[in-house]
Amino acid sequence: MADTTPLRGKDVRLDKVSIRFGDSTAVQPTDLSIHAGEFFSILGPSGCGKTTLLRTISGFIEPTAGRVLIGGEDMAGKGPNERPTALIFQNLALFPLMSVAENVAFGLEARGMRKAERLKRAQELLELVALGGYGDKKPADLSGGQRQRVAIARALAVEPAVLLLDEPLSALDLKLRQHMRSELRAIQKRVGITFIYITHDQGEALAMSDRVAVMSRGKLEQVADADTLYADPATPFVATFVGEQNVLRGTVAGVADTRAVVDTSIGRLEGRVKGPLRVGEDALLLVRPERIALGGTDANTVAVRLAARSLEGASVHLQCAAAGQTLTVTVPNGPLVRELPDELTLSFGIDDALIYPVGALAHG
Amino acid sequence: MGSLARAYGRPLAAVIVGIAVAWVLVLILVPLGAMVEQSLWWRESKGDVSLTIDRLYNDISLMELDRQSETDPAKKAILDQSVSEKQAEIATLEAQEKNPPKSYGIANFTRMSGLHFYIFVRTIFYALLVTALALVVCYPVAYVVALASGPRKAIILMVALIVPYAINELLRVYAWLMILDYRGVINGVLQWMGFINLDAREWIPFLENPSAVFLAMIYTYVLFMVFPMVNTLETLDRNQIEAARDLGASTLRIHRRVIIPHAKPGIAVGCIMTFMLSAGSYSVPAIMTRGQGGDWFSQLVYRQFYEANNWNMGSAYAVSLLVVCTAFILLMMRLFGVGLRDIAK
Repeated sequence: MADTTPLRGKDVRLDKVSIRFGDSTAVQPTDLSIHAGEFFSILGPSGCGKTTLLRTISGFIEPTAGRVLIGGEDMAGKGPNERPTALIFQNLALFPLMSVAENVAFGLEARGMRKAERLKRAQELLELVALGGYGDKKPADLSGGQRQRVAIARALAVEPAVLLLDEPLSALDLKLRQHMRSELRAIQKRVGITFIYITHDQGEALAMSDRVAVMSRGKLEQVADADTLYADPATPFVATFVGEQNVLRGTVAGVADTRAVVDTSIGRLEGRVKGPLRVGEDALLLVRPERIALGGTDANTVAVRLAARSLEGASVHLQCAAAGQTLTVTVPNGPLVRELPDELTLSFGIDDALIYPVGALAHG
Repeated sequence: MGSLARAYGRPLAAVIVGIAVAWVLVLILVPLGAMVEQSLWWRESKGDVSLTIDRLYNDISLMELDRQSETDPAKKAILDQSVSEKQAEIATLEAQEKNPPKSYGIANFTRMSGLHFYIFVRTIFYALLVTALALVVCYPVAYVVALASGPRKAIILMVALIVPYAINELLRVYAWLMILDYRGVINGVLQWMGFINLDAREWIPFLENPSAVFLAMIYTYVLFMVFPMVNTLETLDRNQIEAARDLGASTLRIHRRVIIPHAKPGIAVGCIMTFMLSAGSYSVPAIMTRGQGGDWFSQLVYRQFYEANNWNMGSAYAVSLLVVCTAFILLMMRLFGVGLRDIAK
């Protein structure tokens, strides 16, 4: 590994940024503060405006209203070539007719660095991404993962304070994608600059990021670290987009402080309050499949019929039917689950059930 | 042939091969071969043979006149004899005139006069100039058309480019003639604005300048330059342009390092087509100069065929032009570093 001068990351702040294309709003007024040196992900389904937001930070799109500040400096009127950012495109956009070294050195060439010097620097960066011997090759001669690393080296060559990544792993196969996750994280730790990573893959976002923003329909739903997002989602959308959920519709029967009771078709269930609830109104009760236990020891118990089971390796998914509702339960694989009776009792704790006012879900 | 027969069956394979052979023969070998063969021989026609024959006929007529008025039988016999001698001489000369001896060699190529060679060189130079100008004019157009966003915009631009080409080439050239003529549109407008007086012959003689031919030629062949470039530019991933910009490259550098290298095969094809068409164009220089500007080489070839009636010389001229054009194609391909494979794409 070559010794590289540590770069300095900068913080990125969006101040009431909104973006409209004609009549349609791509990004609703958004405030967001990304710390210097942070690995920050923006997670959302396709069309939620996350790429638009990224292109706004990189300078390809001017926000309709609001300000983008990088390192405290207002970026209004500054083009992509004048900002301390570098963008890694979804398809990488390597220059196919240039060699790998020329690709990496391109940003330095644009800054007028002498040829010998910039090629030396390119070589250092290629060594940083473990591609030291590939400088003379053409991008087409490299594998998908290697091209990925060339794109990273090319972006790092211009010594950006903020690296923007637009789903760069989506073209890779699963194995390589998982490998590149840890690689990206390691590179980010090594260079120490701010990474802003766009993805629709929750696994990527949760595995790599210091913090994640979940976005839906041009709006940030929640900004939090991965554990908080998973355990304490702020909205039904975040709850259903990140990880699996059982969604039960019902009517609020009672609210007391942080707890509420909901009447659903499978009975009266109790859970944590996650929004303004009023007695008599519709509500959603969400509980994760792995928080439901076989047997009836927890506060909420439901009698169900086992409809199907599928083996996932370490765990088993059970599809359970009760009064027209389907509940998915994930239990660890073991001798017990092999001979389950058709009639089961399930239970889950009050803290495992989250009760939201009715709102948009991630999957229909 | 074997694999074709296996893929399509014997009869169809035979048809395919037959068509390919016919194509090569009819479109390439036969016309080119005829032209080259024609250029490699000439007939030793002495220019004075016809004159000598004419003189001999004159002599015979005179002698026959003499013979009619002659009364002395001895002199009559002498006259008869010289008439028959001269008739025999005429017969041999006429045979020679009708079928002069054929000689083979490269004399047709080496016999080009200094003036014709000058015109040849100048035509190549002009054609290069037209190609370069067309490239400069067409590159931005092709760039805009290729990267126009939205299908409607691209269609409008395409139609705007194609519509002029629905009109016959000659008509378009004549249109430019009308625009640039002494009493043409431009001079007319200048008179209307009070700058010149046409009745006092104060017009600007656009047509006496080779640039008039350039203008009409670029206009005529623009499409052949634009289309190949649009085709290659359309395949350029726009992210590459954005990536280059994001890395801090100026517009000029983006074109020089990213866009032009990508468009090279298209540029090469466009240049080759425009050069070939303009170097061989007859109608544009013939119409635009009306004999008042300098000739182009294609006009010389035409004259060798149809005015000097020397098809051998005309063929030699045509072959020379072909050789230079082919050399130009190879040079362009070398210069742009593109192979036939790239161009075929």
